[in-house]
Amino acid sequence: MHKYSHINCFVPPHILKNIATKGTESQRSLAIDTIKVSARMSGQRQALAEFAAATFRVAVGGKDRIVYDARNGSSLPGTAVRREGEAAVSDVAVNEAYDGSGITYDLFNDMYQRNSIDGNGMRLDSTVHYRQGYDNAFWDGEQMVYGDGDEDLPASERLFNRFTAALDVIAHELTHGVTQFEAKLMYSQQPGALNESMSDVFGSLVKQYKLQQTAAEADWIIGQGLLTENVNGVGIRSMKAPGTAYDDPVLGKDPQPAHMKDYVNTISDNGGVHINSGIPNYAFYVTAVELGGYAWEKAGRIWYITLKDKLTTNSNFQDCANLTYSVAGELFGAGSIEQQAVQKGWLEAGLTVEGGGTTTPSDNGGCLEALLRLLGVAPVKRS
Amino acid sequence: MDVERIKFERTGGFAGMRIATDLKFADLSDEQASRISELLDDLDFGELPEELLEESMPDQFTYVITVETDDWEHTVTTGDASAPEKMQELLHLLDRLARTKRKH
Repeated sequence: MHKYSHINCFVPPHILKNIATKGTESQRSLAIDTIKVSARMSGQRQALAEFAAATFRVAVGGKDRIVYDARNGSSLPGTAVRREGEAAVSDVAVNEAYDGSGITYDLFNDMYQRNSIDGNGMRLDSTVHYRQGYDNAFWDGEQMVYGDGDEDLPASERLFNRFTAALDVIAHELTHGVTQFEAKLMYSQQPGALNESMSDVFGSLVKQYKLQQTAAEADWIIGQGLLTENVNGVGIRSMKAPGTAYDDPVLGKDPQPAHMKDYVNTISDNGGVHINSGIPNYAFYVTAVELGGYAWEKAGRIWYITLKDKLTTNSNFQDCANLTYSVAGELFGAGSIEQQAVQKGWLEAGLTVEGGGTTTPSDNGGCLEALLRLLGVAPVKRS
Repeated sequence: MDVERIKFERTGGFAGMRIATDLKFADLSDEQASRISELLDDLDFGELPEELLEESMPDQFTYVITVETDDWEHTVTTGDASAPEKMQELLHLLDRLARTKRKH
């Protein structure tokens, strides 16, 4: 197996730095990765740190959060109770929303050079204590909203805890905002399930980033800690094994499929957006584990660039499979182990990447040509 | 109006779990029946549009409420952000009844 990696590139460092600062997102990602790998290979960690500090765009306004308290009402956003830079308060839900949106900002900013939800420093607004007995969290197009679970029922009947209790839920909601500004995936049927899956992917990655877990170490559970001890379940969804997160006499069994052959056709839940997201979730999980290491570095970058630059309102699962495969080729080289991992991920979820046959190293010019293609100056390919 | 029956269904949400309840008014406590009747009157429920739902927002609940009285039946579909403020108490009451019914 031939592997294309960054160290196969012999692009002069000053050119890489120019691309890293002035290129498009795809170009910058590729250049920055190349510089990082080169620096690591040569043990120049200090150089890497200095480069990162000098190169990465400093956010105009930077991280800016406000947490509001709805005080069990439904008016949004409610009363501001903690602003950026203010000390922790006595209300745990407020602090969870503050810290969770902060670490989510950090992953997108530090790893993907994205300054907040809109890419332009948008303030992160969160409201906690929404309504009474509200066992949910949502993104309303402008902000994140969290309920306290079944706090209005006797303890013995409660199934859900407060929704800020799980970091991946917070990152999930914030990612809905990112999707709204980028791919704008319609919230229905397969585009809606992709919208959901993207939120689960980055939800899980934020949790892994905080815990500094590799793909093999992560639990890949979405919503761990949301279910009370009255429920037989570990969370709301499992990206590693869709359909196994809970099996309970009251809640029933987790209905998520992991494979296209089990796709659920329904009109409920906007066409099963929270059910069929299990399929792309599983594709991401397989890809990430296949690649090993920290999932946000390679698999996450491929999915992020796809969300940002490739997917559109009506994209379906097959589109996403083809596009992530294409992006993996752009970032890491055609036929690279990264591209093969993406292909395997989707195949195990029942989707064959179209145009994704056996690409041999001789079919392309490798990393340098990929870089030139991104820059739009690739030489014309000889037939 | 004399309400005879209310059907309530909630779908969507972060967990994507459906809950529903079919309430015969005669089975409710006097206090519950009285408050729900007041809220329905206050909303002029029978005159509400069938769709009180703006664009689907990620992870919001969708609610379908059907009210049957002695002389009419009306169904309204709404969501968390699109439900009018004065409908919130009704949503909470019905939602709580549905969540209570799903206990062991």
